[in-house]
Amino acid sequence: MDFINSFQSEWLKKKRSLASWLVIVGAFFTPSIILLARIKNAHKLSELYAADDFWLRLWNQTWESMAAFLLPIGIVLAVSLITQIEYKNSTWKQLHATPQRFITIFFAKFLVIVIMLAEVFVLFNVGMYLSAVIPSMLFKSLPYPTAPIPYLNFLKININFFLDCLPILALQYLISLQFRNFLVPVGTGFVIWFLGIGLLPWEYSYVFPYNHSTLDFFISSGQFGNRKIPPFNIQTLALTYFALFTIAGYVLYVAKKEKG
Amino acid sequence: MYSIETVNLTHKFSEQETALNRVNIQVIENTIYGFLGPNGAGKTTTLKLILGLLKKQQGEILVFGKRFEKHRVETLRRIGSMIESPSIYGHLTAFENLRILQKVYGCPKRRIEEVLELVGLARTGNKKASQFSLGMKQRLSIAIALLHNPTLLILDEPTNGLDPNGILEIRELLQSLNQNHGITLLISSHLLPEIEKLVTHIGIINQGSLLFQGTLAELISKRQQNSFIIFETSNDSKASHTINEFSTISRIEPGRIVIPVLEKTKIAAINQKLVQNDIEVYQISKIENDLEKIFFDVISE
Repeated sequence: MDFINSFQSEWLKKKRSLASWLVIVGAFFTPSIILLARIKNAHKLSELYAADDFWLRLWNQTWESMAAFLLPIGIVLAVSLITQIEYKNSTWKQLHATPQRFITIFFAKFLVIVIMLAEVFVLFNVGMYLSAVIPSMLFKSLPYPTAPIPYLNFLKININFFLDCLPILALQYLISLQFRNFLVPVGTGFVIWFLGIGLLPWEYSYVFPYNHSTLDFFISSGQFGNRKIPPFNIQTLALTYFALFTIAGYVLYVAKKEKG
Repeated sequence: MYSIETVNLTHKFSEQETALNRVNIQVIENTIYGFLGPNGAGKTTTLKLILGLLKKQQGEILVFGKRFEKHRVETLRRIGSMIESPSIYGHLTAFENLRILQKVYGCPKRRIEEVLELVGLARTGNKKASQFSLGMKQRLSIAIALLHNPTLLILDEPTNGLDPNGILEIRELLQSLNQNHGITLLISSHLLPEIEKLVTHIGIINQGSLLFQGTLAELISKRQQNSFIIFETSNDSKASHTINEFSTISRIEPGRIVIPVLEKTKIAAINQKLVQNDIEVYQISKIENDLEKIFFDVISE
């Protein structure tokens, strides 16, 4: 019960915050670009809308930028913005003077961030669907795509991407809780992500947690090329990192000498 | 019974910087304890240690008779606090700020309206807290501290940023909380005049050491001990001998004789005797040290 109350309290804090806006903007960014491009080029799309692999092509088109760029960067920003709510308002001291165990505070806030990530996935999929159907509603030349939506396959890949993101989320949370200065978690996150992109051609690039969603995109879209297939499941590795970063984050958070 | 008791509380931010040195504070239940000291004296560090916001290094902290670190959650359930600057979410309204805490404390939702009314913020509506004046933010912080009906309030400089009228209102509110609801208050301030009308007990801290602790009456009696009668005469040396005949100890300072406070009749008798001994008396005056002066005397001892 204490945890539920604590979670509800944390959930209220993100109302009207930059982090909650970032969820919406980040989720609809790529679908909006695709929608605008389709509206602009509607006269050339009749063949695409009649294609059997319509949804798969749309899927690959939307996920490419999302998996490699928007998701990791979005997580870096969103996690920092959530913890900055406390730093910016000098409310850590108030929060830590409430009758809550440290483990409750840590995981209630963490769960809010995890659910925000899930929100991004839901909204992104909705946005992707709308980017497909809105042009056919606007232009008579574009029929509603009749190709069946591979729901189960998309759901599986969605879950994989979601799991791929968890280590980034946990590590960013760890860093954000340790440093008051917004630039530290954001800068560190950007550097790690950039380093990961640079290391993509490396055969062991899967050891880099910020690369998991990109590598998964390559696997799911058949663009893996000559890269070495990881000897184990990427999601298992992601979950292992997630557990390690979460435990480390909690230990460091509890060990902080000053809590406010 | 003490609501708060610290035993040899010592805290260092570095080897060279001792923030607190064997501080022993005793806040008696149902009293208002004024914790005084100049900026940087160690007040906020002490309060943060009491609330567990700083990791304790040496000494003991007992709150409601129990060791704080062993009973942190149940102890904090009975404490309302406000430390340093107001802790409020600027992007939310006053109501939303309190709703966050109401969820945590599990108190009835109607308490939000009650405390907003109590601190005079009931009509702030949809205004975001970031648009509040410093005084309004301070009031909202006090509302947050009061939300769950605590039995102990720890307030760090609660009247900071308030105008004279606001200071008076908050003082009356705090006094009423103590007198009508039996809430114990620990209030820090660097300004004695701001809290001398409010507190029953005072602790004075400077450079990490507690220099005085006692009732307000004890501090006032210290004021009387520090009051003097001054005589300005034509011959201080001769006058001093005459004054000493009245079983009092005089001290000659440049241009004047200083003696402890005496009854009016005795002062008149001394004056009469001086005149009879052909000593001209130019002035007799009383020097009274006010609490402010004593405060500075204590911290500069």
